[in-house]
Amino acid sequence: MAVRITGLGIISAIGLTVAENLFSLENSRSGIAPVKYLDSKKDFLVGEVKRSNAELADHLGIKSLPISRTSLLGLAAAREAWGTNRHTKELRTGIISATSVGGMDTTEQFYEDYLDKNNPDYTVLKCHDSGNTTERIAAELGISGYINTLSTACSSGANAIMLGARLIEQGKLDRVLVGGTDALTNFTINGFRSLMIYDDQWCRPFDESRTGLNLGEGAAFLLLESDKSVRFSGNSTICCLSGWANAADAYHQTASSPEGTGATMAIQNAIEVSGLSALDISYVNAHGTGTKNNDLSESTAMINVFGDNIPDFSSTKPFTGHTLAAAGAIEAVFSVLAIQKGLIFPNLNYKTPIAETGLEPITELQKDQPVLAVLSNSFGFGGNNSSLVFSVYR
Amino acid sequence: MESLKEDLKKHIIEQLNLEDLQVSDIDDDAPLFSADGVGLDSIDALELIVLMEKFYGIQVTNPDEGKEAFLTINTMADYIEKKRI
Amino acid sequence: MSFITAYCQISEVTCSVNGNVVVQKNEQSVDTWFKQLYKELALEYPKFYKMDMLAQAGFLGSEFIKKGYPDLIPSYSDDEIALLFANSESSADTDIRFRDSYQDRKSPSPSLFVYTLPNIVLGELAIRNKFYGENMFAVFPKFAPDFFLQYGNIMLASGAKAVLAGWLGILEGRVEVSVFLIEENNGDGLPFNKENIIQCAGWGDQA
Repeated sequence: MAVRITGLGIISAIGLTVAENLFSLENSRSGIAPVKYLDSKKDFLVGEVKRSNAELADHLGIKSLPISRTSLLGLAAAREAWGTNRHTKELRTGIISATSVGGMDTTEQFYEDYLDKNNPDYTVLKCHDSGNTTERIAAELGISGYINTLSTACSSGANAIMLGARLIEQGKLDRVLVGGTDALTNFTINGFRSLMIYDDQWCRPFDESRTGLNLGEGAAFLLLESDKSVRFSGNSTICCLSGWANAADAYHQTASSPEGTGATMAIQNAIEVSGLSALDISYVNAHGTGTKNNDLSESTAMINVFGDNIPDFSSTKPFTGHTLAAAGAIEAVFSVLAIQKGLIFPNLNYKTPIAETGLEPITELQKDQPVLAVLSNSFGFGGNNSSLVFSVYR
Repeated sequence: MESLKEDLKKHIIEQLNLEDLQVSDIDDDAPLFSADGVGLDSIDALELIVLMEKFYGIQVTNPDEGKEAFLTINTMADYIEKKRI
Repeated sequence: MSFITAYCQISEVTCSVNGNVVVQKNEQSVDTWFKQLYKELALEYPKFYKMDMLAQAGFLGSEFIKKGYPDLIPSYSDDEIALLFANSESSADTDIRFRDSYQDRKSPSPSLFVYTLPNIVLGELAIRNKFYGENMFAVFPKFAPDFFLQYGNIMLASGAKAVLAGWLGILEGRVEVSVFLIEENNGDGLPFNKENIIQCAGWGDQA
């Protein structure tokens, strides 16, 4: 059973709205640049949203401070996805968000002030936990029914979408905003550097010379509706979410198994749930972080599932950076745009195939393509592998 | 050189949370990363890189360089002696 | 029909399985409480020491259940047991330690960073038991029995034959842990419903 997607919202390094993101994707405009807004000690390459917190709060009309950057980004995207929909007692409405950082961007700042005895603002601590970011977004949008926050590392966004779809399918909700948000913090930059998987140069997913990822930040939401909800709202269906799956890798806390076991299962099961066959997939939006480990593991999984018929594939992380919990949602929006506009997005900054697999991603924008079904992968630390299948609405 | 090796073992046990191991349990030429040896994993390898900097002022920028140097306590001690000048 | 067939509760001073206290904290011991529990299990699993408290909590809860139910893992194939966990602190306990490592000691620790995500405990359980099934971690303002009921049922309806679930409340010394096993079988155990989930949690009605 497929679930309808009727709303999209996104904010990332390549744009503040769906239209801006699409423009950047069509024109190969990457958002990766030396860090500017975050107070960081070194000039790392990151995918920052090009607005300060003050500018975001102002634009969103936020009156009640404090508010974390993660909430600001999430609210911007959730508002765009919600659009002009109205609240009604007739429909059970929910919001499911995903985050890994939560409000840590503000507590980091608080901690420095606290250590320097620089009049720390204790109210900031209220924003710290992951659940709070979702509740703040829900409050701003007037959603009080089902509110949930997931945290499964880099697959969080995809799992939020999956949970929303299942709740609609099981008849627990009529419509639900699903997505994820994460702001850039020194915490995560330091962490990825300590694992030695942060690239000092622009990342090169699926390239033999790849040495790591660039972090990004952002948020994206989709509005999922049941048939009953759409009769009430009158919204047209952009496309469908038809397949989803989640599988463990059982290999390592932060690395994927070289055989891509978990990834293979997630991809296979998602395609199976969709009722389609592997040959029906027009495009794969890969997780493709640019680390030695993920790109090899993901390539192996694609070969396991698709054999000699690997669909056109690309990673869009050279555009946005790795946006952690938001990635699954941001890339879901890109997958929907691919179907809606008949586009296949390029894998920027690629030159040489990985020696062990020889797979080559798409490197130039493809237009006027019959994009009927898209597979989107998100593989997270903890061996949490999630895949989604989007397809045209018939 | 002997006290360097003993210190190394102490640092490793503490930094890597190898709770049930004593300094006397680690042979100088036991393979650190093999399951038959001390059984360290890839995260431990990164902690060893941090340890190199913290206690010996040595910066390992290329993880592959670390793989060679960290085979056993003996190779680690040699590596430290060479780099520490 | 599904049933809660085993449960383990861990507080700051006791560990009980299926409602019976099996270990009491020894205040005289030099070992930490969790190390005492690990030793009580008499396992050979040195990776335990590298885990943070959140992962150790999930590990200990599930190993105590396995101890009383040795046929558990062999009776299912490797993708039939799903993992479903939640808490309200996320990974804050380790987040604080990691932040100290880079902010105070100027030396970000990779082994701490690895645990600054609450779902790593799922990875540890999968690695330990060779699970390839579904896994989920959620964060709530407080204990959420409805979530376990709803999501547990969704997992059982879509391919899982059993769910290993748990609430892992760990933060700066506070320990409020309950791990329980839900199976589809013919009547052994507590019916899988909200009241019984709360009862297995063991720290009163926090719903």
